[in-house]
Amino acid sequence: MAQFRLQGSRVLAVELAGDAVKARNGSMVAYTGQMAFKKLTGGGDGLRGMVTRRLTGEQMAVMEVKGQGTCYFADKATEINLVRLTGETLYVEADNLLCTEAGLRTGTTFTGLNGVSSGNGLFTTKVEGHGWAAVTSNGPAIVLRVGKDMPLRVDPGAYVAHTGSLHRSLKSGAGWTTVIGEGGGEAVQVEFTGEGLVYVQPSEKRTPGGDV
Amino acid sequence: MSHPPQPPHDQQPYGQAPYGQSPHDQPTQPGFAVPMPTQLDFTVPLPAAPDSSGPAVYDAHSLPVDDNVNPYAFSVDLNGSYFLQKGKMIAYYGDITFQGVGAGVLDRVLGQHFNSPMHAADWVVAQGRGKLLLADRAFDLNSYDLDDGNLTVRSGNLLAFDPALRLKQSIIPGFLTLLGTGKFVAASNGPVHFVEPPVRVDPQALVGWADCPAPCHHYDHEYLHGVIGGLRRLTGLGGASGEEHQFEFIGAGQVLLQSTEVLMAERPVGQVDAEAGVPVGGVPPQPGAGHGGGPGGGSPQVPGLGNLGDLGRRFGL
Repeated sequence: MAQFRLQGSRVLAVELAGDAVKARNGSMVAYTGQMAFKKLTGGGDGLRGMVTRRLTGEQMAVMEVKGQGTCYFADKATEINLVRLTGETLYVEADNLLCTEAGLRTGTTFTGLNGVSSGNGLFTTKVEGHGWAAVTSNGPAIVLRVGKDMPLRVDPGAYVAHTGSLHRSLKSGAGWTTVIGEGGGEAVQVEFTGEGLVYVQPSEKRTPGGDV
Repeated sequence: MSHPPQPPHDQQPYGQAPYGQSPHDQPTQPGFAVPMPTQLDFTVPLPAAPDSSGPAVYDAHSLPVDDNVNPYAFSVDLNGSYFLQKGKMIAYYGDITFQGVGAGVLDRVLGQHFNSPMHAADWVVAQGRGKLLLADRAFDLNSYDLDDGNLTVRSGNLLAFDPALRLKQSIIPGFLTLLGTGKFVAASNGPVHFVEPPVRVDPQALVGWADCPAPCHHYDHEYLHGVIGGLRRLTGLGGASGEEHQFEFIGAGQVLLQSTEVLMAERPVGQVDAEAGVPVGGVPPQPGAGHGGGPGGGSPQVPGLGNLGDLGRRFGL
C-alpha cells in the first residue's frame, strides 16, 4: 500500500513499495529510490473514460508512478489536503486532484446544469474506492460538514470538493440591482443539502458569475 | 489590536514566533484596542487534530465565533448585519442575504455607516443569521477590535466590518478610516506586524495606522542631493535602491505593516468634490498608480447602468 503523508503543507510525499499511484502529469518534484513515470492517456480511465473526458471537457493529464522509494509531488505551491476514502465517493474538480492511490477508481460525473454558471463545467471528477487521495487548494482548505437542517451555501469559486451523499443545487442571490451592476457580489451560490463534507478554499477562482 | 490569526492547529505557517509575544507587538494605547485571548475563544471542543484522523471538520456550531478559522479565512457569527467587500464570501450556514449597499430599504443603513457614500457601491450588506466565512484570494486575514478608536487602512485591505463601526473616507487618498467601537477584518499580504512610531516605513508595506497623526513623506535627502544619487535619480542610470522614499510616522499610536511589499489591488474609494482646501479634490483616484502589479486596479464594476459617470457611486446606489 502506498503511504501518503504531507511534507510541510505544500508537498505530498508518497512512500511506494513496488505499487503505483496516479498523479497529475508533471507534478513530481523529487524522488528517492527507483521510480517509473508513465503517462496515462485520457485520465487513466481507459478508452471509455478517455472519450468521456474529451467530450465533457473534464480533462486530466495523469501519469502512473510506480516503484520503490519516496516520491514527492507538488503543484504551484498550492496547499495539499489528504482525503481518506473508505468506500465513499469524492467529487472534485479535475484541476484540484493531485494524486490518488492506484486502487481508487476515477471517472467523470454529470453535476447537472448548475455547473454552467459556476464556471466549474457540467461535469466533475469522481473518485471512489478505498485509499488516499490528495486534493490541492489555494490556501488550506476548510472542511465543512453538511447535515440535516444544516445546509451549506458555497461560493462556486471557493468550492473544491465534496464527499458524502450531497445534493447540490444552484441558488441565485441576484435581484434587480444586479442588472444595473450594483448587485450583492454573490449572485450565484451552490447549496449543498444532505449529509457529507464540503471542502472550500480561502480564495475564489474567477467564475463567470463571480463579479456580478 | 492584533488578533493573532492562529490556525486551529498548532502549525505556524511562516515558521515565526506567534504575534503578541514581544511587548512591541502589543498595542498599548487604551483608546485603540482591547487584547483578546483569541486562543481561548472556542466555546466548543476543537475538532480532531489534523494528524490523528484527518483535517479538522467544522460545522455551523463548531466554527469559531468572530475569529479566524485558519490564517486565511475568517468566520463571522452573524446575527443582524455585517458589511463586506463584494465577492469575499466563500461559504455560509444559515439564512443570509447579500445586498448591495444602498439597495432600497438599506438606504438608511447607508446613511448611518457610510458617511461618505462615494465608495458605497463596492460594499455589500450581509443580513440574517448564521455563520459566514470570509476569505480573500488566500491572503492573510486579521481581525481588529477598535474600542472607541480610529484606524486608517488602505482601501484594498479592508475586507469586512461590524456595523457598529463607521467607515469614512480618509483625506489621504486611497485610505479609509474606521471610527467607533467594533470589529473589522483586514487582509494583508503576509502576516501583519505592529510597530510604534517614530518609524519610517516603506510605502508598499504600509497597511494602515491607528491613533497616530497622518504620515508624511520622507526622502533620503542626503543621498538624493549627493552628486551620484542626484544623477541616478534624474537619469535613471545606475538604478535606484528603491528605498529613497519612505512614509514617516510620529506621535503615539500603532503602524500596521504587511510582510511583503506587494500591494493588494486598490479599491476605488470614490471621488472627492473639487473644493478649495480639499486635497486632490475633483481628481479621480488613479487606479494603477503605485500598484504592485495587480491587474484588478480600477473599477471592478461590470458594465451596467450603475457606472454612468460614476453617478451610482455618487449616490451610493
